[in-house]
Amino acid sequence: MEKNYYVCTGCGLLCDDIEVESEKNIINKVYTACRVGVAHMKEVRGEAGFRVDNAPVDEATAIREAASILKNAKNPLIFGLGTSTDEAQKLAIELARKTDATLDDTSSFCLGPLVEALLQDKIKTCTLDDVRNKADVIIFWGADPSDSHPRHLSKHSYFPRGSEKQRGWEEERTAIAIDVRKSHTAKICGNYFFQIPPEGDAEFIDALIAALSGKLPKTSYNYPPKKILELANILKGAKFGVIFAGLGLIYSLKDMEPVFRLMKALNEKANFQLVPMVGHYNMRGFNENLYAETGYVNRVKFENGTVKHGPEYSVVESLKAKTVDAALIIGSDPLSSLPRSVSKNLLEIPVISIDPCETLTSKHSKVYINTAISGVESGGSATRMDGIKVSFKPVVETARLSDEATLKKIMEAL
Amino acid sequence: MDFGSFLAAPEIKIRIVTYRDIFQDKAMIENRFGEEYRDRSAIIKLDAADLKQLNVKKGDTVILSNSFGRIVVKAEESGYDTPHRGLAYMPNSPWSNMLVSDETGGTGVPKFKDISVTVTSAKGEKVTEFKP
Amino acid sequence: MTNAMELYQMLPKTNCKKCGKTSCMAFAVALMARELTPEDCPPLKEESKYRENYEKLKEIFKPSEGATETGLIVHEDLCFGCGNCVVACPPNVANDPYGVGSGNAPRNVNKLVLTIEDGIVKAQNLEECRRFGKNKILCNGCIVTCPVEAIEFV
Repeated sequence: MEKNYYVCTGCGLLCDDIEVESEKNIINKVYTACRVGVAHMKEVRGEAGFRVDNAPVDEATAIREAASILKNAKNPLIFGLGTSTDEAQKLAIELARKTDATLDDTSSFCLGPLVEALLQDKIKTCTLDDVRNKADVIIFWGADPSDSHPRHLSKHSYFPRGSEKQRGWEEERTAIAIDVRKSHTAKICGNYFFQIPPEGDAEFIDALIAALSGKLPKTSYNYPPKKILELANILKGAKFGVIFAGLGLIYSLKDMEPVFRLMKALNEKANFQLVPMVGHYNMRGFNENLYAETGYVNRVKFENGTVKHGPEYSVVESLKAKTVDAALIIGSDPLSSLPRSVSKNLLEIPVISIDPCETLTSKHSKVYINTAISGVESGGSATRMDGIKVSFKPVVETARLSDEATLKKIMEAL
Repeated sequence: MDFGSFLAAPEIKIRIVTYRDIFQDKAMIENRFGEEYRDRSAIIKLDAADLKQLNVKKGDTVILSNSFGRIVVKAEESGYDTPHRGLAYMPNSPWSNMLVSDETGGTGVPKFKDISVTVTSAKGEKVTEFKP
Repeated sequence: MTNAMELYQMLPKTNCKKCGKTSCMAFAVALMARELTPEDCPPLKEESKYRENYEKLKEIFKPSEGATETGLIVHEDLCFGCGNCVVACPPNVANDPYGVGSGNAPRNVNKLVLTIEDGIVKAQNLEECRRFGKNKILCNGCIVTCPVEAIEFV
């Protein structure tokens, strides 16, 4: 029996085995998806709408106003795009080029540095299918997929049978959590939960590297050396090890150098790959699309056909330094997700918000365009957290514009 | 003797680590201006000993403040088996982001997961609202 | 929730054998295994001095709401549909190795004990569960893999 599966765009896992029962464009039942996926697919929608200065307008007026904001800005910021399709992202890059914009996405303050390292072949990586088929030692480092990517352990990393892992998780896999708190994922790892203090990751990495070469592992927080040596022994025996790196690890490091060192040390003794726990469904896609176009994964500024890159072009620094004079925000809510001490500067410039749902940012925007939910009401393609390309069709129909269609119209109006 | 009870409102310094919570994410998708999202976001999980020192019971509101902002959230006991006095946990949300420093050292990456605040009893004051 | 020793404490402890078991402790074990019910102890049921304990035991063993033939209860408010139990459940793996056993959507739901519906685990086909029937095994595959203790056997 051939089944009709949909892709869930609720997180970076892009689960491609979701069955849906729907009637008259309303989704009644969702099978196999997690709770977040179900909420994402069943999201309740109000009326479609376009607003300028908080008053309802027609489509043409909203598009015209958006184009005029971008035209009048010297250095507009284009930000978001983690929940947009590849097609929309490529249009946004083109739009940024046309308007001499600063372009950045959420990877700028998330996992951008690691994705960049993977694209530059500085770190060995693999797909989630490789993990399911081969992985024997799995480390969740500063990551809690049970909460961020709920089906991670069941669909890929720990519980499923794989082509070379036929006997089950108890016998053939070891899952390890390294974290500052006993997360839901750490709980599943049982005795293989290594609790470290906040900002203790770099030292733990060094101690682990020492232990891997048989030296006594030392930390300023006196982590029991015996436990680190035990961990090192497990890692040394890995035939196919994977580190899933999360924000807990990234945020506690000044740069990625300790990660590179650890990967090198691990690969001298065993076989290890690293996969960043990319959250938004197409954040990795944005990094790859921009990289293909400019050689950078994020934080770029277009100027007269040239591309500049650096932390000063990050969403945080450019808002903080007030170097941008307008903002086009696509599928993101920086007034909620950035420190208010930084995002408050958005309130001083004209903002265009393109989003399927009302957010604090949309409520404070000069122009708001309510779009289709990408992956539920509109289709396209995206890149899974491990780099696999996934195409998807809409689950239900809508009269709303997709963000791709919206960007196209703004571009035409320019 | 419990000296805390003689002070107007005991105050302690706390380091907050933020985290993600799946039910909070679900609530955000359903309605980011709704009660469930607020109830699952505007909380701080403290060590039982810190709660005691603050003279605050589970479910009472507390004020979290630093030079970047001031918010009122509900205090909860973390329930973790290892004690963590001086360290507390909050789901990542607009509430926690009110307190995050804009100091990044020019890196573009704020310290979302490492927030220093002063905690004190809110004496019944209501949880901070983010109304559109 | 409870163990045979706790149940024993609530019994008459006279070892009268009226229930057919050799001792009150044996009766407690049989209760625990759900082979017998509190009604099967005549003194407990009939004598007024045991009434309070009898009521308590009946409360414990009343066919609880949501409890299934194997005693499996899903706390729906806790479950978030990660599917760990679905993929780890031994009969699920045996009956659908390339579907749920490999982490995917079910290929054949007919004999699956656990599936995810609307983001919450649903139990069915309990005759397949290892805890079903006379020759049951106290399997805990769905319990130890759950991050939130959403599954319980009573």
